Amino acid sequence: MAAEKLNYTVITPPLYSVLSILFALIMGGIILLFIGKNPFIYFGQLFAQGMGTSLGIIESIIKMAPLLIIAAGLMACFSAGLWNIGVEGQFLIGAMLVGWAGPTLAQVLPIPIYLITSAALGAAGGMAWIILPAVLKGKYDLNEIITSMMMTWVAISLVTWLVKGPINDPSVVPAQTALLPMEARMPMIPFSRIHIGLIVGLIAIIGMHWVIRRTTLGYQFRALLAAKQTAQHAGINVGRITIWGLLISGGFAGLAGMNDVLAIKGLFQSGWNPGYGMTAIPLVFLARMNGWAVIPLAFYFSFLGVGGEFVARDQGVPVFFVHVLEGLTLLFFAVSEYFEKRRLVR
Amino acid sequence: MNDQTLIRMTGITKTFPGVVANDSIDFDLRSGEVHSILGENGAGKTTLMNILSGMYQPDEGETYVRGQKVNIRSPHDSLRLGIGMVYQHFALVPPLTVLENIILGFEGGMMLSLKKAEKKLQQLTAEFGLSMDYRQKVSNLSVGERQKAEIIKILYHGSETLILDEPTSVLTPIEAKELFRTLDSLRKMGKAVVLITHKLSEALAISDRITILKLGRKAAELDGDELRQMGHEAASEKILHMMFGDMPIAKASAVAKELGDQVVLGLDRVRAINTRGVVGLKAVTLTIRKGEIFGIAGVDGNGQKTLAEVIGGQRKIESGQILFKGKDISHASICDRFEMGISYITDDRIGEGCVPDMDLAENAIIQCYYQLPYSRHTVINNQVINAHADDLIRQFNIKANGPGDRAGTLSGGNIQKFILARGLCTKPALVVCNKPTYGLDARTVRYIQELLLEESKQGSSILLISSDMDELLNYSDRIGVLFNGELLAVLDRADAAPEKIGKLMFGIKS
Repeated sequence: MAAEKLNYTVITPPLYSVLSILFALIMGGIILLFIGKNPFIYFGQLFAQGMGTSLGIIESIIKMAPLLIIAAGLMACFSAGLWNIGVEGQFLIGAMLVGWAGPTLAQVLPIPIYLITSAALGAAGGMAWIILPAVLKGKYDLNEIITSMMMTWVAISLVTWLVKGPINDPSVVPAQTALLPMEARMPMIPFSRIHIGLIVGLIAIIGMHWVIRRTTLGYQFRALLAAKQTAQHAGINVGRITIWGLLISGGFAGLAGMNDVLAIKGLFQSGWNPGYGMTAIPLVFLARMNGWAVIPLAFYFSFLGVGGEFVARDQGVPVFFVHVLEGLTLLFFAVSEYFEKRRLVR
Repeated sequence: MNDQTLIRMTGITKTFPGVVANDSIDFDLRSGEVHSILGENGAGKTTLMNILSGMYQPDEGETYVRGQKVNIRSPHDSLRLGIGMVYQHFALVPPLTVLENIILGFEGGMMLSLKKAEKKLQQLTAEFGLSMDYRQKVSNLSVGERQKAEIIKILYHGSETLILDEPTSVLTPIEAKELFRTLDSLRKMGKAVVLITHKLSEALAISDRITILKLGRKAAELDGDELRQMGHEAASEKILHMMFGDMPIAKASAVAKELGDQVVLGLDRVRAINTRGVVGLKAVTLTIRKGEIFGIAGVDGNGQKTLAEVIGGQRKIESGQILFKGKDISHASICDRFEMGISYITDDRIGEGCVPDMDLAENAIIQCYYQLPYSRHTVINNQVINAHADDLIRQFNIKANGPGDRAGTLSGGNIQKFILARGLCTKPALVVCNKPTYGLDARTVRYIQELLLEESKQGSSILLISSDMDELLNYSDRIGVLFNGELLAVLDRADAAPEKIGKLMFGIKS
């Protein structure tokens, strides 16, 4: 029986995730047929350009960093059964703070300290943006899904206003902050065009994988998810753990905002919102809260984004089509969960 | 067999993992009667009726409706056979009106023909004298009115049989009186009513027949009229005797313990507010000495859980004081109390006692995960917690493959043993046990009782809350009786006659 149990837990979950991806691609192909495109050419080019060229691969790897960082934070709150749906807002606030303060900090601080300060600033911004939903959930059990999502809309409006007014760089026409000089950007991994954000992301996701499974904090998160009443009964401070779970996820989202400003954009701009939140959430579910599984999946999702952009120009299929693929993947994943539950019931 | 026999159940047996809920029970029901099923909590009343209403399938036994053998597979089946059940927790949709609730799930077609339904309802109303504003939203109704709506709903669907599960537990005395008037009129109209209750006076007041269940078996079937002729006093005595059986005289010699004078726990006029449906505490004062087993008797829901939680720290007190080893712990946290040496063994083994989806090793440290040697600098030491769980499994003879088993895969008895093992392994000065042997098989029951006795001999004090009279009489040094949140009396073992406790449990002093 032990062997059977092991087999089941080791083989089946990744199989379900892979199958969900395959079914989504097939379904996506059918949709392409309906809009009069040849799915073989589309997917052929998607894979050839996204994974077949060094440019595609490097771009995809670079875009993994924010996904990994955000996913690490989401793993913390999901492992406690908490739903931070407002990742995008926390990301934007973190990015805005770094975009605004970065140029000044870079002038007055030595580069290493400047980088660490920026990271702390980004994380603090993300945390600040979830503190209200976190406290409302922890103290009054108010639904965090709604409050965190609403905070995103507030964030979008707030940063737009700020970047057009108070923190605007008046020397250029577009609504944006002052451009960071190249030496104030995030350093590259030696001998590559990939900045160290990837390393940060990998450490974050693997670290979180370990924290959830091996530390007392992770233990409390998991107890909260699996049996809130038991946790309460045993004396675990459910309110406090709830607040921490959400704060951590917000902090990582803000950190990802710092990453994108320092590594990719070099400034904060009005209307800029890469929408990582809606990619990272399904990502964590597909990976079944397993940090190691997040890594290849993050590459796949990031490749979809990059490849989709390349192919969009050639094929005339809108870049949004990759979001359709993402959505379908999650849909099939949900279906697989249903089958698995039935299997377990039997 | 009587002509009017509507339903006959024979040899009904139902077991749940580790518990025999119904053991070969015979039961029959006639048209135009109120038949009460009386018994302690866990006697099997609700299980028997859940079988009749299709919620459960019996392991053995047969059910006949109007002489025809039937196989009731779902509540829908039973409704088609004219059997309707009113549950303790009502199944109405609050934002809908009474009328909408009544036709919910039964009207065919796309359009709701509310008019037709209303007409039919008015007919019913005239017939049974049940008046009600059907256009009211259920959320605006009082609990009594909701119950009435449930009853009307069942009648509307043409049921001949109504089963009511502890109907008065949620009602005010006036509402209860009205309910009984309704039941009386239903009986006169030829309906058959089953009344599940653990309230003696209720059963006596209205029943044509009373079936008494004890520990899953049918103990007696009594005639209501005969009982009423005996007079209330004598009838109560007789029923109590049946409910609790030939109660053994406390085996005083079985326990030879020297109780010191050292007071471990003292409650001084402790008041606590209830959550809905659970009675709070009204100025409870008691002391427990070192090595003492202090039993708490009482019908379920009279403040036992509140008492346990007030001591364990899960519930705040409104006023009064709790002293533990001379220190005021009235407002101490659960963790602080645990560290000081208070273990609380909950009665809700699955809901509060364990995390079913975690393995035994992780369950074993739910209250001490932050302490050495289980974790160091917030990192949990898997080797240590596995070894710890392994120790518990061996020491307490828990049937499990090992520390890696998920708690939810264990049987009820073994989960309880595990929870006890976890609570006792820290050598606590005080163990609060809430129904530690409830629903377990005889062997496990005995094992746990002896375990607690042994623990007390080694100097732990034990607050033993139980609905098992034998357990209380055999193991307690003193017994307190809780009724409606009040500690009515504290009896020494020598004075603790079962009849006396039985009466106190129903609030009868003298």
